[in-house]
Amino acid sequence: MANGMNRISWLGTSPRNAFMLAGLVALLVLLPLFLGQSWLSITTEMLILALAASSLNIMLGYTGMVSFGPAGIYAVGAYTTGVFMEKLGIGIVPAVLAAPVMAGIIGFLVGWICVRRSAVYFALLTLAFSQIIWTVVFQWYSVTGGDDGLVSVPVPDFFFEITNCYYFMLAVVSVCLFIIWKIVNSPFGMTLQAIRENPNRVEFIGVNVKHYQLASFVISSVFLGIAGSMHCVFSGSAFPDYAYWVKSADMLVICLLGGIYNFFGPLVGTVVYTVLTKVISEYTMHWHLVLGGIIVLIILAMRKGVVGTLANYWANRKSAAA
Amino acid sequence: MTFEAFAGQTLAGVSLGMVWFLIAAGLSIIFGTLKILNLAHGSLYMLGSFCCYQVTVSLAHVAGNFWIGVLVAPIVVALVGGVIEVFLLRPIYKAEMIYQYILTFALVLIIGEACKMIWGVGYHSVQVPWPFQGSIGVFGLSFPSYNFFLIAMGPLVFIGLRTLINKTDLGRNIRAVTENREMANALGTNVPRVYTGVFMLGAWLAGLAGSLWPPVSVVALGSDMAVVIDCFIIVVIGGLGSLAGAFVGAIILGLTTAFGLYLIPKLAVAFGFILMIIILLIRPYGLMGEPE
Repeated sequence: MANGMNRISWLGTSPRNAFMLAGLVALLVLLPLFLGQSWLSITTEMLILALAASSLNIMLGYTGMVSFGPAGIYAVGAYTTGVFMEKLGIGIVPAVLAAPVMAGIIGFLVGWICVRRSAVYFALLTLAFSQIIWTVVFQWYSVTGGDDGLVSVPVPDFFFEITNCYYFMLAVVSVCLFIIWKIVNSPFGMTLQAIRENPNRVEFIGVNVKHYQLASFVISSVFLGIAGSMHCVFSGSAFPDYAYWVKSADMLVICLLGGIYNFFGPLVGTVVYTVLTKVISEYTMHWHLVLGGIIVLIILAMRKGVVGTLANYWANRKSAAA
Repeated sequence: MTFEAFAGQTLAGVSLGMVWFLIAAGLSIIFGTLKILNLAHGSLYMLGSFCCYQVTVSLAHVAGNFWIGVLVAPIVVALVGGVIEVFLLRPIYKAEMIYQYILTFALVLIIGEACKMIWGVGYHSVQVPWPFQGSIGVFGLSFPSYNFFLIAMGPLVFIGLRTLINKTDLGRNIRAVTENREMANALGTNVPRVYTGVFMLGAWLAGLAGSLWPPVSVVALGSDMAVVIDCFIIVVIGGLGSLAGAFVGAIILGLTTAFGLYLIPKLAVAFGFILMIIILLIRPYGLMGEPE
């Protein structure tokens, strides 16, 4: 348990790290110059997925709450934007802004019940709620389009040009990630990490642990809602699959691949996961088999994820050199 | 609702519940002893279904081929379970919960894909076996006799497991390890062997359920997650780690599902979850569970 605290602030504010971050941003801004249409579209999708995974990681990595149901909340965001635009004819700006609000409200109601229990029961409750959301989306034909989904969300022409869409998503995702970064590194975020390390001791020093867990749940939901909404704008559609448990599992695996005890873990995990699935599915039809094998290997050999393992490696090298 | 429909749904619900009980019992025993929530338990069930189907096809002209399948398939699944426990689960008992979840989730992917490679994506069916092809009349209504056989299996397995756990040496060791792993280890119980045994027992039960259900339904991919989610609901309703809880929970969920499908088919899927949430709120550790 105690392996997260010191490493979570890796990539802090040293000049070298600031330089690396600036380089990364420059690379992302210049990316459309090098990438073809299809890869740019994949990268845009990666940005959205990275935001969703980072939102989940507020709960998972920072507060130590294993949620099986992030996809449910993600779908709430996507469908809010989709239904507002396609069924109610509301403009894109209010439709997008409504998504985090709706996701936050649903997140509050679901979280209010879920945080009463911990560990296995918490995980199963979140799974139950996401399956309920999936059922509602799947069955409520008149509003959500049922299993056909929403397929003709009237997104402005601006987004049809993939480069525009990419820059828009890059801006939204960057701002959101910056806010998440600020939150998890604030005193509030430190309290969340303390709860992860030892909820009992935090309770003893007078912190209402359940309130903080609920706050973590709601914040996570708000950003998941934004991610869902962005995906709806990006693809002009929304499907019940968004709420399905497979999508939640994808997000969990992404966080784990990158490393849950690091802010950049879910981002790296997204890149690794997306590239892996694309590459593997080109070579074999049975990519689930390969993916499953890779996950098993990671858990048996590289439990801290890509970023965690690298961070450890660097830390060891540094201490060896000193 | 007519009496005929009522009786029909009750019968269907209880027989479904009894098959679920076999799976949920394994899930619950594994959780109680190994403290691992096995997401791949539904996959073991599905593997059992496919193995039993394979036996009925391979021995198409042998009398009683289904019963040979019922005998063989659970053993195959138990062996697979043993391999999983020894090589994959053993290294991660001390790891955090999330890693255990994700590892068993990876097994869902692997077993699912393996079944797809071997048996393809189509639906397979298994004939209702001799001597249960006929119907039995109750109150002037007739019901398929195979359902009565399934309903009988539940209490049979329940009593068998109770006897195993309460009366045998193996059961004594299981209880000792569940109660206090370190102490049992210090007193000479071979804890790793008990773990492997319990996991294989759970896998065997899942395989048995997988073999028995196909004559009523079909053998197909995707049953793995559907089943495991239902079994989660059952063990949470009944209380994780409690055998009696799994039994009661299975009957409750079976009836809820059967009547839900009959009355409001659209929302039937959600009923189980709503039931689980209500029970968790009023009895946090399930109907028969004990606070940790």
